[in-house]
Amino acid sequence: MSQDQNNKSGSSITPSQPPSSTPAKAAAPPTKERTEAPAFENSLVSQIVSRFGDYKIKVAYIRPLRIKVNVDPTDIIEVATFIRDNLGFDHAESVTGTDYPKDNQIEVIYQLGSYSKDDIAAHILSLATRTNRDDARLPSLTNVYKSGEYHERETFEMLGVYFEGHPRNERFLLPEDWADLPPLRKEFRIRGR
Amino acid sequence: MATYPQEYRFGKFIASIVWVVLWIVIIISLIGLPIIFVILFYVPLPPVNGEVLTPYLFLSMMVDPTRTLPIVHFIIHTDIFKVAVFPGFSFAALFAAVTIFVERKFLAKMQLRIGPLYCGKIEGILQLLADGLKLIAKEIIIPSGADKPIFWAAPIAFVATSAAVVALIPVAPGWVAANVNVGIIAVFAILGFFPLIALLFSWASNSKYPFIGGLRALHQMIAFEIPFFLSALSAVILSGSLNLTDIAKAQHPYWYIFFLPISAFVFFISSLAELERIPFDLPEAESEIVAGWLTETSGMIFGLIQLGSYVKVYALSALFVILFLGGWAGPQIFPKELSHGPTAGLMGLLTLQGVYNGVTVNAIFWFVVKTFGIIMLMLLPRGISPRIRIDILLHTGWYKLIVLTFINMFIALALIYGGILGPGGLLTGH
Amino acid sequence: MAKNLEHQIDESEKLGMQIVKESEDDRLMTLSVGPQHPGSGHFRFTVKVDGDYVVYCDPDPGYVHRGEEKMCEYRNFIQNIPHLERPVIHDSANITYSYSLAVEELVGIQVPRRGQFIRAIASELDRQIYTLYWLAIYGIFLGHSTMFMWPTGDRELFIDLMDALSGARVTHAFNIPGGVRNDMPSGFKDKCLRNISYFEKRLREYEDIFYTNPLFIQRTEGVGILTKEDAIRLGVTGSVLRASGVPYDIRKAEPYDVYNEIDFKVQYMKSGDSLARAYVPLLDMKESCHIMRQLLDKMPESGEVRAKLQPNPKGPLGEAYRRVESGRGALGYYIVSDGSPKPYRVKISVGSFRNMIALPHLLVGSKLADMPSVYWSLNYWPVEADR
Repeated sequence: MSQDQNNKSGSSITPSQPPSSTPAKAAAPPTKERTEAPAFENSLVSQIVSRFGDYKIKVAYIRPLRIKVNVDPTDIIEVATFIRDNLGFDHAESVTGTDYPKDNQIEVIYQLGSYSKDDIAAHILSLATRTNRDDARLPSLTNVYKSGEYHERETFEMLGVYFEGHPRNERFLLPEDWADLPPLRKEFRIRGR
Repeated sequence: MATYPQEYRFGKFIASIVWVVLWIVIIISLIGLPIIFVILFYVPLPPVNGEVLTPYLFLSMMVDPTRTLPIVHFIIHTDIFKVAVFPGFSFAALFAAVTIFVERKFLAKMQLRIGPLYCGKIEGILQLLADGLKLIAKEIIIPSGADKPIFWAAPIAFVATSAAVVALIPVAPGWVAANVNVGIIAVFAILGFFPLIALLFSWASNSKYPFIGGLRALHQMIAFEIPFFLSALSAVILSGSLNLTDIAKAQHPYWYIFFLPISAFVFFISSLAELERIPFDLPEAESEIVAGWLTETSGMIFGLIQLGSYVKVYALSALFVILFLGGWAGPQIFPKELSHGPTAGLMGLLTLQGVYNGVTVNAIFWFVVKTFGIIMLMLLPRGISPRIRIDILLHTGWYKLIVLTFINMFIALALIYGGILGPGGLLTGH
Repeated sequence: MAKNLEHQIDESEKLGMQIVKESEDDRLMTLSVGPQHPGSGHFRFTVKVDGDYVVYCDPDPGYVHRGEEKMCEYRNFIQNIPHLERPVIHDSANITYSYSLAVEELVGIQVPRRGQFIRAIASELDRQIYTLYWLAIYGIFLGHSTMFMWPTGDRELFIDLMDALSGARVTHAFNIPGGVRNDMPSGFKDKCLRNISYFEKRLREYEDIFYTNPLFIQRTEGVGILTKEDAIRLGVTGSVLRASGVPYDIRKAEPYDVYNEIDFKVQYMKSGDSLARAYVPLLDMKESCHIMRQLLDKMPESGEVRAKLQPNPKGPLGEAYRRVESGRGALGYYIVSDGSPKPYRVKISVGSFRNMIALPHLLVGSKLADMPSVYWSLNYWPVEADR
């Protein structure tokens, strides 16, 4: 029995990464090397941009292994579907929001990763969108990225972003009788701080 | 936090005990003894050794201790003693207590642990006592909406039913509380009550997990009842008797386990299932249904059910020994008599003149040894096996075990008709 | 009068009528598994059972939600370390590891080489500690009490090592931005190698008593099969993902610190059932021993273990997302900095939370008796999922 199991598990993966995306040795902080965008990541972004055009896709940054792309809420399902189907980012590692009271906006960011394609296994494509803070509503990506379902539900209760099309915009982690502001908004203060 | 008083001295502790003992002695001699005298003169005493036991004779035991021996002999042959003390409940309860302690230590050794260590200084021997006291002291919580009469009655019924099984088990020739001719049928009839009690209790506790546990207990016990009975039936076929004492005696030269190994195996597995022990502890599977039908038990209700189930462990192991391991048969290692010829005085007391019976003591010894061996075997799976799943369990019970018992039953019948065993057979002892 | 009737109905509901009503009306019985259930941890999920089959499952986490992410916004980058390791105290080296990586990326710190090695060793040790704990609970979930006691006892091997390394048995705030808190004690290498070789012997014994036990195989083989496509779609991670035939390990996919110098294999299995999910952690532990040997071997003999930090490090405006492979899978930190010494937003993306989505997926349609073997095989740590 155990022999079989061992045989099954005997292989390993060697991601065929292009030279530019080899992780900076000894964790050299990529922030320092922002001068030149790496080629492979650039090619990924250019695929998106060529499909949707510059006015829809605003590239926030391109770093080794990390890409961030800003889109409008109206385009997000379309862009996400394209990224999933054509670029191979097949799951959402996390969905999270950041509150920007100065801009009166909430940014919701999807960290997308890939399991199925080896060359982008190390990459994280951050798909970000912003919504109005007073009436925070966004289309849900549950149908595109099922993996983001619970994360979106958490974002709903933590930041009060209503995801249209999400099966359950309900309380998740907070107590059942939570009747306060969404706690990750900046105006929610921890008592005594 | 418990702290010692400031001026704690061990000597003072001893002194306080001495004072208590002194007071007890004074009270007994001034009040207790006169009361005993009065009672002895007014209560009719039983006849012992053909002569009526008078208070004078009774009290003269202080002069000649051997005179107590006929009284002891008389008492241990009364029915009440047999039911309550020796082959009956107290013996089984003692066995259960030893089983629990041994299980803890044995399991701990298997799992590279130590087990109970501190309570009682020597390897935690008093741990069980401490646990029992704790359980007695605990509050009994009855769930709201519980069916109170059944909730109270079920644990007591559980212990009583276990004790009823024990009453049918002979431990030596003639040493059985109830020597009935339908012994084995009576045992299975009584064992049939357990799923009923489990279901009643689970229903009465008005909770969902006990309910599921009770249903599981019912399923499991019914599934294993039939292979259980059929495996015992092979032994009945070979011995030609339903009386447990006769079955044990019929295995005189050769134990039935040599002829009926498959039946013995099925009987063992079925008794594990009957006892709800790992790997068949589904009715109490804690990771699935909390504690199964015991979820709402608390305090001594839990204690009673535990006691009952360990008494049941003893009863079923003893049944295994009687059906397959020749009961009390074994080489005579105890002397027939402790002294040659009658002796009087203290020596007579020490040699238990008239009470000691070498054959019986030997029988009890071997019976206890074998039973304990089987109990250890029953404890073993707890250390090495995970829990079985309910559908596999039912499948095992209904399909595999029943077929296995039939195989061995045919072997038994072939042995009888072939003239090898049975009345007048080749290997039948006399 | 009507009020009286209502009162009576209330009374009858209290008196156990609920069971009868539910089972007769719609055949379904709702069970609340947890949070006070021995098989749930600090977690609750509601299941509806039709007979012995689960037809509905709704996880309800949050019993130990502490608002770690909010707390991070009130403390500076260094102060955050000790409270960030609370969600999973057995694996605290890993949960602080990715935080350190993210902070280093933001602030721009270069970790000395020896520090990187020690950090990786601490992370491997903690992964072993966590996995053993997980395995122990998996054992008791299936009713195998020996498999509870053995791994719990063998954790001590690594806890002792971590104790020697960091000075604390659990929650050892050891991996910090800039390296590790302190250097190795002398003699650590020998002790570590000794414990590892003993532990490898014990792993073979685990296989003998637990993994090859026919009852264990009966209970787990073919139970709760998560196909490769579903695993990718649901975005599960760690051993759950690898058991479904996706050989994905952050240590291999995106090697951090010194892992690109280490030669190891990503252990995975293809069947995707509970047996595979139980087996992959065991294979991981074996591989981890292998990794630790190499780390100890390749480590520079001396040198700095910790980069000099300014007293109150702060980064430029920006954000970072770094992940490590923890005991439960990828553990990512998304940190937004607004240029102040305190992070503007910290998101902890933990493996447990990502694996939770597979629970209803696998449980619906399976038997209630399979619930423990499926639930705990998901490598779910309730406290970590709640954060």
